[in-house]
Amino acid sequence: MRRSSGGVLLTDDELLIGLASGSDAVLTQLYRRYFPMVLHFVTSNSGSEDDAKDIYQEVLVVLYEKVTHGSLELNCQLKTYLYSVGRRLWLKQLAQRNRHFINDTEAVVAVDDDLTDHEERNRQFDLMTDSLERLGEPCRTLLEDFYTRHLSMQDITEKFGYTNADNAKTQKYKCLQRLKRLFFSEYKQ
Amino acid sequence: METNDDQDIERALLAYGERIRFRQQLAQIHAGLNMESMREEAGLYRDETVQPGRIRTFWQTYRTTLAVAASVALLTTFGTIFLYRQYQQSHQQQQQYSLLRRDIQAIKSSQKQLLNDITGRSRALSVNPGQVAGTGFLLTADGYFITSNHIVQEADSIYVQSQKGEVYKARVVHSDKEHDLAILQLREDSAFQPLPTVPYSFDGRSSELGERVFTLGYPREEIVYGEGYLSSGTGYRGDTVAYQVAISVNPGNSGGPLLDERGNVIGIISAKQTTSEGVSFAVKTNYLFKALESIPSDSLKGIPLNLNRKNTLVHLPRKQQIKRMQSYVYQVKVFKHEK
Repeated sequence: MRRSSGGVLLTDDELLIGLASGSDAVLTQLYRRYFPMVLHFVTSNSGSEDDAKDIYQEVLVVLYEKVTHGSLELNCQLKTYLYSVGRRLWLKQLAQRNRHFINDTEAVVAVDDDLTDHEERNRQFDLMTDSLERLGEPCRTLLEDFYTRHLSMQDITEKFGYTNADNAKTQKYKCLQRLKRLFFSEYKQ
Repeated sequence: METNDDQDIERALLAYGERIRFRQQLAQIHAGLNMESMREEAGLYRDETVQPGRIRTFWQTYRTTLAVAASVALLTTFGTIFLYRQYQQSHQQQQQYSLLRRDIQAIKSSQKQLLNDITGRSRALSVNPGQVAGTGFLLTADGYFITSNHIVQEADSIYVQSQKGEVYKARVVHSDKEHDLAILQLREDSAFQPLPTVPYSFDGRSSELGERVFTLGYPREEIVYGEGYLSSGTGYRGDTVAYQVAISVNPGNSGGPLLDERGNVIGIISAKQTTSEGVSFAVKTNYLFKALESIPSDSLKGIPLNLNRKNTLVHLPRKQQIKRMQSYVYQVKVFKHEK
């Protein structure tokens, strides 16, 4: 079954290391390798191909964030882990759609803790989206440019027309303080 | 604190950015996928895993149901085995019991034939074809009368016919299904003339085994005498309500008196065991007393029911005893709806 179209067939460990280091090639291979499994699972349990895509990408986000936080404890095959997480996520979707029966095609392991972590991170992510929304311009773009698009302070100084990088840094610091207030006022409740 | 928060918010921002970046990467990879080959591979999953998967899924979905079903199956199986063994153990007696019931049926059929004989003679008996007959006797000279409940149950009307052929209409005063006894009253038929005091008395004490006993009854149109001995203190299958009596009785004897040597009524003939010769059963007189006690006073309609305590048969020879008794033992004829 584990036929991969071209390229070297990486082991689970190699895949995980490659994933942690942000290798595009490894992620592509990983994506291709197990997508059919999730595609089959979701589509044979009253989901569409789009549902399968969403679920699978969510699964990979879970895996990626666990790997980059160094908190992944894999006691089974990577395939089983991915299936189990996907299964749980899809079950949750189905529950929201008032369906409860699923047909399993793979062995399942308990992934409750992983998903609790994931939900916590989802909450943070949503809260951050919301906080950035409320922060307004130019702070939002400035912070996004620096932290998510990884532009240098020099780039930012030029883009926003600040007189010098120090000025930009001060501005960024002020924005960060405001964001912090918005974010934690919600988050710490 | 301040710097901690600063680090936290920076970390949260970085994680936020990282996720956005990763998702974009995923979206890119997905866009570059050959969906056709993905679908093909997904199809291979179907082929490879559906078989065992279906069984496992079936198991996981229905295991509760299966567990319940299995328990029920187990219970049923062992229950059936248990019941079957019980049945086997009691089979012999079961058969006798059912025959015993048929015996009661036989009263009906034999008496139906009997009806053919009497049709011409009695106007009342010619009307209704569905009938049952048995025996009964007077409790008191003024018309209280005892017979077996199985004879008079579901009756539309009950007539009693004396040995001389006089027919009276009877009313059921009380029926005791449990002990198969029925108490009737004849006095409501104006033709009934109170008789001299009944010659026999009633003995509710337990009689000894081997006690010589006799009975009078109507297994056919004429009164028939039978004698035997008390063979057991309990009745059919250990029924403490009845005696077992070695006496020859036939359908139609039901409700007849069972008397000891001295002329005390010690029981009322109720049934016999068809699988053995001479095994009959009589309800103990003690239960007659109990039945009498349980009669609601308004059922008596003001006529007191006092049993005779003085036995005038004690010292008489058997032939005289029978002669004195004959006029107190009646044939009971019951008319029912044909079923």
